[in-house]
Amino acid sequence: MKSAFKLFAKNKVGLIGLTIFVSFVIIALFANSLAPYDPMEIQYTAEGGVKRLMAPSSDHLLGTTYMGRDVLSQMLIGSRVAVLVGVISAVCVAFIGTNIGLISGYFGGKVDRILMGIVDVMYGLPFLPFALILVSVLGPGIQNVILAIVLITWRNSSRVIRSQALTLKNRTFIEATRLSGASDWRILYRHIAPNVVPVSLIYVSTSMAAAIMTESSISFLGLGDPMQVSWGRILFTCYSSQAMFKAPWWILPPGMAITLLVLSGYMMGRAFEEIANPKLRER
Amino acid sequence: MALLDLKNVSVEYKLSNGSLKAVDQVSLKIESGDIVGLVGESGCGKSTLIKGIINLLPTNGKIKEGELHFGGVDLAKISKEEMRKKRWKEISLITQSAMNSLNPVYRVGKQITEAILQHENVTKAEAMEKAEKLFDLVGLERGRLEDYPHQYSGGMKQRAIIAMSLALDPKLIIADEPTTALDVIVQSQILERINAMLSNYDGSMILVTHDISVVAQTCNKVAVMYGGKIIEYGDVIQVLKYPNHPYTMGLKNAFPSLTGEKKELISIEGTPPDLSLKLEGCRFFERCPFAQDKCKREPDVTHVDSGYFYCARSDERDELRRLADIPETWDKEI
Amino acid sequence: MPLATLYCLRAAKAQTDIYVLNGKVGRKMRLGKYIGKRVTLAFFTLLIMVTIVFFMFRVIPGDPISMYIDQGLDQESQQLMMEMYGLDKSVPEQYAIYLKGLFVGDMGRSFTYSKPVAEVIGERFLNTLVLTTTSLMIAFTVGITGGSYLAWHRGTKLDLFGTILALIIRCAPVFWTGMILLSVFAFKLEWLPLGGMTTVGSDFNSFFDKIFSFDFLKHLILPALTSALYSMATPTLLMRTSMLEVVKEDYVELAFAKGLTEKQIRRRHAMRTALLPVVTIFAVQAGLAIGGSVLVETVFRWPGMGREIVLAVGARDYPMAQGAFLFIGLATITFNLIADILYAYLDPRVSLD
Repeated sequence: MKSAFKLFAKNKVGLIGLTIFVSFVIIALFANSLAPYDPMEIQYTAEGGVKRLMAPSSDHLLGTTYMGRDVLSQMLIGSRVAVLVGVISAVCVAFIGTNIGLISGYFGGKVDRILMGIVDVMYGLPFLPFALILVSVLGPGIQNVILAIVLITWRNSSRVIRSQALTLKNRTFIEATRLSGASDWRILYRHIAPNVVPVSLIYVSTSMAAAIMTESSISFLGLGDPMQVSWGRILFTCYSSQAMFKAPWWILPPGMAITLLVLSGYMMGRAFEEIANPKLRER
Repeated sequence: MALLDLKNVSVEYKLSNGSLKAVDQVSLKIESGDIVGLVGESGCGKSTLIKGIINLLPTNGKIKEGELHFGGVDLAKISKEEMRKKRWKEISLITQSAMNSLNPVYRVGKQITEAILQHENVTKAEAMEKAEKLFDLVGLERGRLEDYPHQYSGGMKQRAIIAMSLALDPKLIIADEPTTALDVIVQSQILERINAMLSNYDGSMILVTHDISVVAQTCNKVAVMYGGKIIEYGDVIQVLKYPNHPYTMGLKNAFPSLTGEKKELISIEGTPPDLSLKLEGCRFFERCPFAQDKCKREPDVTHVDSGYFYCARSDERDELRRLADIPETWDKEI
Repeated sequence: MPLATLYCLRAAKAQTDIYVLNGKVGRKMRLGKYIGKRVTLAFFTLLIMVTIVFFMFRVIPGDPISMYIDQGLDQESQQLMMEMYGLDKSVPEQYAIYLKGLFVGDMGRSFTYSKPVAEVIGERFLNTLVLTTTSLMIAFTVGITGGSYLAWHRGTKLDLFGTILALIIRCAPVFWTGMILLSVFAFKLEWLPLGGMTTVGSDFNSFFDKIFSFDFLKHLILPALTSALYSMATPTLLMRTSMLEVVKEDYVELAFAKGLTEKQIRRRHAMRTALLPVVTIFAVQAGLAIGGSVLVETVFRWPGMGREIVLAVGARDYPMAQGAFLFIGLATITFNLIADILYAYLDPRVSLD
């Protein structure tokens, strides 16, 4: 475990990813204090007119939207949704996927067939349409978005973890443990699971990236939580206003933020990949 | 004129923190018909040397200096295209791990005919006929040409590779540890094949290996490499019975006796030198039981009947040879 | 009776096994069996998906009746529709009716269009197909050539630049890229139209006339390009990684030793084997692209299935949403199936058990 951390520290790509991610987390945590204005508040000029589509200025570092709202504040507060959805989804997906993979791979037989059968079926469900339908049926709250993401994404990690568990199951040290009388569950969770953690971590990172992408997609389509400020929703408003052509300060920041956060997820995932698979290190 | 005449060839690898001289001023002459064994420990430079001959070094490797005369042409000076034309037709290769040397998505027959069609102006059918004859030579069923590599066993793959190397009747075949990756029984089968092949073949071969017994069975000449240099060269029986260089003496001790008498195996303590450092003097200095101060200078060549060697204490060689047979000599503190 | 069947099956299996032992005939037979297995699985998946959808739509808070019947209709019509769709019957019976309906292609009636859902989907599906096919072809052609090129020149600045670029594009939301391209090329430069599939008011003789018209192509470029850019990253990076693995292989070295030219080696030996994972990804990617078409079609107002499902969900047109989802799901399952079969067919090493 410790050596894994050391390896990660040495991995340039992973560190950059981590830095970016942590920066966003910090921004999200302090967003309320950092944001100069209420993101939903319409800004007025001294004369009483709405500050519509104003270019960046000292008052509004990222300008204003068509409705007269401060873009910077929206960006900062929006980070909360992104980080929240990303982290929660990632943890849930990894947890479910890993456990299912472990159980499936270790116990084999009927359990394996049933679980993997479920995974096979899940692969047939198209991701975004499913999320859309679920959100439309259950309502546009954040928890439903997370639910939709988790329901579909766990399928990826479970297969890989399962094959890891399969290989590990047949290693001699497991045989030895079994001979010493340890129960199956004990073997599974005390001996096999820790070895599977690096691979799990890969999926934590990549699931986070996918979750953020999905959340922003759903919000962009206007089906996200209308009460929450999210980067996807900013782009939704931008697109609907038909004024996106005229306001680069409005269109560019949300997309860039999403790209960066998603990128950080993939970069960390790559670092974990190299840790889990030493072959990749010598590139 | 010698078939292959290497003069002071050096090959260098560029590393992230400096360079590594894998082959250092190697000179070697091979006549037509010679079967030369190239022995040495891992990392002594033998693989690099042969890769250098056919110019198949990785991107960070380069022939730093020297001349590689082959059939009158200096391979170090010719263009990439000219070298490409010579490949396989004049010099072919039997690779180390036949396991992976055949492309898994093509049938074996196709891979053999590919080599033929690349250099000869024949029809596909003619090329396939040749492939069939080659398979007969190595004892593989003709029908097997239609199969994929994963349907072959390890020994069969190696035989296919051997067959392929003969396809264009090259003047020189380089065999890079052809038996290392095989288990013992298959090893001896393959060696038999190689021997059978050699009796019908009038070209030359360089057989790279770290296993002296293989050399003893197959070659007529042997070159011993250590630390990037050829430290001894000569007629195989001479070198193995009466080694001149302490390292060769040590090698001989490390293998079961060729004449069958029971003997305690003696190993040489220590590890080969780090070639990324600039080295002075005899490469074997650290591990040689007979090392003296004068060995710190680059030793001169000593010519003998069938070959040559590099040792600072060359004139004492008979005495050293006698001492080398005693196990206690090799209990050296490193 | 059942025992006899069992014996027959066992005998049949034994026959196949004998063929398997023969080696040559073996693979073709096993491929057939494998395909059979996968098709059955796919069909089963489809069935389960259909069932999931059935129950999903019954979870709507409120009146489940509103699922099928437009609340805007008058009482009499509503009653009629209730009987037609058997909504007054028990759930298992409704399920049976639902399945039967699907079998004949009846997916209900769209609230918004007042047309059978199947009819609307029929039109939309072709539009999505054209867009997806075009974008995937671009994505994979560029991706495969780019990826192999990058791998061949590994370690150079070009490689680094290309890889990073591919990675960044993959992380950028496709709708955002679409918005930017739209702003630049359609608005600022006015080279290309602002959206839609054809210019309003234009008329065409047939579907094929339409898709080969210049007008159509002008409308197709931006959405296809946007989608292609996004889809391009995966095959490029995958091809690159795959090539790098393959280039290290001994048989590539042997190919050099055989005196083949660099181009021959790259094409014949390196790319061929490196292509394997990429080809499978193609089918998977196709499945994903159909699902992801939602976003591009919305940005460019392309009248495809993806856009339809968004509109339907927004308008609470449940039959439409359900139908569109089922269709997209069907496409995804089909593509996954193709991917499975392709991979087994292409790689002689893959065990078919």
